[in-house]
Amino acid sequence: MTDTGTIEIKWNSQSWRDAKDKIVMVMGYLVLGTMFLVLGLILEYVTSGALSHISWQVLTTSDTFYQGGGIYQAIVGTWMLVGVGLLLSVPPGIIGSLYIVGIAPSTRLTSVLRVFTDVLTSVPSIVIGLFGYFALVTYLGWNFSLMAGGFALSVMMLPYILRVSELSMKSIPREQVQSAYALGADDIQVAGRIYIPQALAGIMSGILLAISIAAGETAQLLYTAEWSTGLPTGLFNSPVGYLSYVVYQGENYGTYAARNLAMVAAFILIVMVLVLVFLSKIMDRLIPAISRFLNEPEKEKVAKK
Amino acid sequence: MALTPVLIIIGIVSFLFFYSYPSIFYNGSNFLTSITWYTGLQGNVVQSHGFSVQSGASFGILVFLVGTLLTSGLALLIALPASFFISISVEFYLPSRIKSILISFIELFAGIPSVVYGFWGVLFLEPILYNYIEPWMSASLGSIPVLGLVFGGQVTSGYGIIISAIILSIMIIPIITSVMTNSLDKAPKEVRESIYSMGATKWEVGRYLLSSFHKSSTWGGAMLGLGRALGETMAVWMVAGGLQGALPSSLYGTINTMAAWIASQLDSAYMDSSGMTISALAELSLILMGVSLIASVIGRRIAGRGALRGYQND
Repeated sequence: MTDTGTIEIKWNSQSWRDAKDKIVMVMGYLVLGTMFLVLGLILEYVTSGALSHISWQVLTTSDTFYQGGGIYQAIVGTWMLVGVGLLLSVPPGIIGSLYIVGIAPSTRLTSVLRVFTDVLTSVPSIVIGLFGYFALVTYLGWNFSLMAGGFALSVMMLPYILRVSELSMKSIPREQVQSAYALGADDIQVAGRIYIPQALAGIMSGILLAISIAAGETAQLLYTAEWSTGLPTGLFNSPVGYLSYVVYQGENYGTYAARNLAMVAAFILIVMVLVLVFLSKIMDRLIPAISRFLNEPEKEKVAKK
Repeated sequence: MALTPVLIIIGIVSFLFFYSYPSIFYNGSNFLTSITWYTGLQGNVVQSHGFSVQSGASFGILVFLVGTLLTSGLALLIALPASFFISISVEFYLPSRIKSILISFIELFAGIPSVVYGFWGVLFLEPILYNYIEPWMSASLGSIPVLGLVFGGQVTSGYGIIISAIILSIMIIPIITSVMTNSLDKAPKEVRESIYSMGATKWEVGRYLLSSFHKSSTWGGAMLGLGRALGETMAVWMVAGGLQGALPSSLYGTINTMAAWIASQLDSAYMDSSGMTISALAELSLILMGVSLIASVIGRRIAGRGALRGYQND
């Protein structure tokens, strides 16, 4: 710690200092209250708009260019894109964090990897989208497709999963890892029996949060998945519809039908995010208990070897 | 496979650089100083400096650069004191039982998709700003001599600088607040208690911790928030009003940002058969990436790597 500054208290003005303390308290409550008001207004606006237009038909029919119809293909498309994104980002995320924590905690390569992970977190999403358009859509010739959109999402999810699983792997006691190695376990055994089971809670809650963020992304998908009024026919060459685009078009397209669909889409997105965040909080508590239970026999097996 | 992040970054930079190469040579320094973005006459491809380009084309991003810095700066100006007050009241004034609930509520803001913020901004916030708040600001604050230079001007719509800054600040308050409450939690108990024992009020303790003792996390958090605001695309695109070819004339004017411009122009860039418009967009996105990376990387450096458990750019 370098310069920590000084604190000056003028003793002669006690009443003014107390008044200032009260003023700050009121200011703090006001700002906090405003934030809650804003959150409440957004939720109220979207919910009341959505509840008067949501129906079984809206959820189960596909879009007909805003002349009515529904958002079935967008709901399914969002999950398809997120699914492809997960398939592409979870394996490198977990292997990367295993490498950083387990194999090479303090080499130069690891610090380079850390810096690049941080850099990747801060690349603006539209830049990822443009890169996806150049590299995947045109250069690799995937066209607007599930694969291109999912890849663009995975670029955003990867550093997130990497960092969250790195954090939870770091909290595993070193003695446990070292004794496993001392008993002759190899890297893969240590990864599969110690790192991954013990860090599972963190990894799972990280994945859930990554899904919640990816589901609401738009800018990466505009020029990689584009938009479609039907379900994609394959991984490549077939554009995909997704919920956040419906929300965007609700403002852009300007018809009441579009706006009503957008309300429903925004409502579904917000509910999805809330559920995922809630699940990830539960996961943080629940999985450690389960994995502790499951890990007992595992440890014995390692010990018997 | 552990090297994936490195490969992706190298891929992004090299693809963008490869595509922006013609634009860098064709536009030169004009790119940063000109306010004109004209893709040229359609279908009239000529050769210039060895690159094919539509005749009359000229690409300058000054408007978007100014717009990005202005909206993000204003957003930070709103968000920094707001987060300061929020974290101090959560940490010192409110009962500690509800602290974690409050913090998770504030983190919910980070979970709301940016396109929903934009949608809400257009349909709910814009009419209120246009009909009530901005005319009042212009009439009352605008007539005060010195403040009038900033707040004076004609209100023509609710879109533009003010609404963008408000929406951006709502989006970055959770980030800055999270860094600040983290740093308040990390402060050694001894420090806190010794200041109290000298008779300091809660506000004095909080101010000392955030502005002196943990100065670095406070500024780091602010830089991280700024980095998020600079790269924000959808919400700003929807509420900015799409200014082009001129600098904003007053606080109530419309505006445009680099991210919003990239998002809105790729469709029309396909029409340019010479490819120069696409190239200019690639150069613009290189600059945008540079600006927002600098802010975020500096922020992370100052605040320390563990300051934030992962918020994403949009």
